Amino acid sequence: MNKPKIKLNRLEKWKGSLDVCIRCGYCFAHCPIYKDTRWETDAPRGKMTLIYGLINGEVEPTDYVAEKLLECFYCKRCENNCSSSLPITQIFTDAQADLLEAGFDVKGTTSVTNRGQCTLCLECVRLCKHEARSYDGRIVVDTVKCQSCGSCIDSCPRMAISMNLGFGTNPDEMRSEITGFLKDDKRKNAKAIVFCCNWSNYPGFQVAELVSEDPDPEYKILVTMCSGRVQSQVIMEAFAQGAWGVLVTMCPEDKCEHDGNVRTKMRINSLKKAIHELGIGPERVQLEIVEKGNQKQFQDGVKKFMKEIKDAGPLKRG
Amino acid sequence: MEKLNISRLKEIVGEKNVKDDPADLYIYGTDASVHQAMPWAVVRPENAGQVQEIMRYANSEKIPVIPRGSGSGMCGQTVPVNGGIILDMKRMNKILEINLEDVYCRVEPGVIDDDLNKALKPYNVFFPPTPASSIIATIGGEIANNASGVRSVKYGAARDSLLGVKLVLASGDMISFGTTTRVEASGYQIERIIAGSEGTLGVIVEATLKFVPLPTIRCLGMTNFNKLEEAGDSISEIMASGCTPSMLELVDNVAIKAINNALKLNLPDVDAILIFEADGMVKEAVDFEITKIKDICETHGGFGTELSFDEKERERIYTGRKKLFPSLSKYKELMPSTSLADDMTVPYSKMAETTRKIHEIAKQNNIIMSAYGHCGSGCMHTKILMDTTKSESWKAAEKAVAQIYEYVNSVGGTTSAEHGIGISKAPAFKIEKAASLELMRGIKKAFDPNNILNPGKLQDASDDWLNATKLRYTVSDKCE
Ligand SMILES: Cc1cc2nc3c(=O)[nH]c(=O)nc-3n(C[C@H](O)[C@H](O)[C@H](O)COP(=O)(O)OP(=O)(O)OC[C@H]3O[C@@H](n4cnc5c(N)ncnc54)[C@H](O)[C@@H]3O)c2cc1C
Ligand code: SF4
Ligand code: SF4
Ligand code: SF4
Repeated sequence: MNKPKIKLNRLEKWKGSLDVCIRCGYCFAHCPIYKDTRWETDAPRGKMTLIYGLINGEVEPTDYVAEKLLECFYCKRCENNCSSSLPITQIFTDAQADLLEAGFDVKGTTSVTNRGQCTLCLECVRLCKHEARSYDGRIVVDTVKCQSCGSCIDSCPRMAISMNLGFGTNPDEMRSEITGFLKDDKRKNAKAIVFCCNWSNYPGFQVAELVSEDPDPEYKILVTMCSGRVQSQVIMEAFAQGAWGVLVTMCPEDKCEHDGNVRTKMRINSLKKAIHELGIGPERVQLEIVEKGNQKQFQDGVKKFMKEIKDAGPLKRG
Repeated sequence: MEKLNISRLKEIVGEKNVKDDPADLYIYGTDASVHQAMPWAVVRPENAGQVQEIMRYANSEKIPVIPRGSGSGMCGQTVPVNGGIILDMKRMNKILEINLEDVYCRVEPGVIDDDLNKALKPYNVFFPPTPASSIIATIGGEIANNASGVRSVKYGAARDSLLGVKLVLASGDMISFGTTTRVEASGYQIERIIAGSEGTLGVIVEATLKFVPLPTIRCLGMTNFNKLEEAGDSISEIMASGCTPSMLELVDNVAIKAINNALKLNLPDVDAILIFEADGMVKEAVDFEITKIKDICETHGGFGTELSFDEKERERIYTGRKKLFPSLSKYKELMPSTSLADDMTVPYSKMAETTRKIHEIAKQNNIIMSAYGHCGSGCMHTKILMDTTKSESWKAAEKAVAQIYEYVNSVGGTTSAEHGIGISKAPAFKIEKAASLELMRGIKKAFDPNNILNPGKLQDASDDWLNATKLRYTVSDKCE
């Protein structure tokens, strides 16, 4: 066995567990990061293999490796599917702590604060359920504690917070998906955007593309890491691009991992008022509660919503 | 490695679809087997044209190319023994056509089994091979391994559902084999040898598959046996009696203990359990089958039978079998479950004896082995639980694997039921198929004269699996 190239004080204890990992790959079936990039290096099995290589000295600890190991949304979809019931995210957290201690300065999916824009209102410190944000003359983010839920990003009144790697969930990435869908000349039916929480109802979605499926669908599903991440500006962007309506789905009230749904509810209520003042019917923005993995509830919700906005027709341009 | 022109590969598939960082190579050099080796690059084609260009380039430079689906193979099928390019097929994941009128579908090779079945479900049909790994297994990998699963006893393996393939050869030429019709009597039917070819004959870029109606009624049963032989006798009689169970699974005592340990299910501590299922469209027909199976089991000493048509109940009864894998990995501290002697097929009449033999060989070699399997297809799975850090464990495992396959061969069984051969089962395969190896090499040569497609596998694999590649495990008393 080669020597690990850096001190791995926390990871050493997982050596036995990494032997127990049978490398079946079940963990990557529903990993949102893997689904976005389709590279096995971004999938949990790949990361478990990298960690194994770090411990036995076969993998050189580099910025690239550290960056990979700092990518995780902590949705635990991998753990729930693991053939060997391994505590995958705990192992990742220890890997992150060891790598940061060894001096790697990478961010992965950690939220970062732009100091130039931050006015130190401390809103993000108050709301982070994972106690990852604190004030020490400036906002300090504990990279190991941050679970990359993104709640702080959309709550910051100054838009000072962002995530370098969003894997499709950053506001900019969403905006471009919205425009791509609603402004595509080839589409005649595009009407609505459905924001779908990664935790509650994403698990059922396929990786494969069904070519014979409706080539011109009426709505597009965009996956967010938490309903709390759907900023009002992103919703308004959908209307600006001609959407007839927007549906946001979220977990039941006490079931959100990040308490993001409480804010979602408040946000959607105030957005309804705001659009009403702009002459847009409040039924154009809707909220649907979906229990974890309840595909039927999700589909029924979407069906009802689509019927209502189709009854309402397209937005009148003023 | 130095002969690989990364820029050329990037020209073909685009900058973003090639990786050659050592960290990526380390990951793509493993699968669910005990093996590991470093490839030189990972390349992700998006269409058949790109696959053709990659093959033309690799063939001209004699660079090995290893097609890879999800890398869930258990015998090292995708481990690049001589380095080369890993051709990751997961981007080619389109379901191209679902033709209900002619009862077939056309898919790209990277489509995941579960996704295909999700797409077929609204039409009340399914693609039946369904390996346990269907949540990640790609159709390309299933065809190339000739995968099967719990329901194959009734519906067959991947080969039985395969009507045709579009294949890119080592030269880069593309040929369609097979048909979209139900039967075919023309000549050599090459598509059938592509099933089970483990990526050594060509790259599958499209497959035409048949599907079958989803049964509307299922009934699941479970019976306990105090003696393994009684379960074995039941299996033979069920299969010989003309019954067509849609599932017939054997779970041995080691597995029962593991399940009870891990899940606290309180399964009876018996020698063996049989789990069986009948399915169909008419309740009377399903009743008839299930009663017949139950009666046969009980005549042979089966007791405590549970039967259920109810979906939730069926799920409960099946929990133990479903969670067998994680349970085995928790059987004992520091005893990882390794994929060795992972599958085999024996005649029905030898199921019980094989299980006994596996336990006996495990004891002789001081390792733990559990035996379970889709016994309705004669398929037996084992896992070797051992301290993977000790070289003596590996020596013992090597001996046990050889003894098991010697026995399987002696009773007219075969080396692989569904997981394939790859590297780790190749020595046994080569002994079993000694008489046809040269013919197989001739076929390989006709498809791939420069031996660039997944070299070092099947008939061309090493006779010494233990040293054919580095092990994915760290054996701590080896290098000190
Ligand atoms: C936990 C677990 C349970 C399993 N259960 C079962 C089971 O019940 N039944 C069963 O049969 N198997 C089982 N397997 C083994 C394996 O998952 C299956 O055989 C599966 O079909 C392999 O699919 P894959 O996409 O992972 O293929 P890979 O492992 O990536 O590849 C398998 C072989 O196919 C070749 N290949 C892949 N794509 C192509 C292509 N497009 N063209 C040419 N060749 C290609 C590869 O070169 C390789 O030789 C199991 C594995 C695990 C880890
Ligand atoms: S916790 Fe979620 S994002 Fe992180 S590795 Fe697991 S599945 Fe992927
Ligand atoms: S599911 Fe678990 S055992 Fe399988 S590869 Fe992932 S971490 Fe390993
Ligand atoms: S709110 Fe979420 S993203 Fe922001 S610091 Fe806390 S855990 Fe990280």
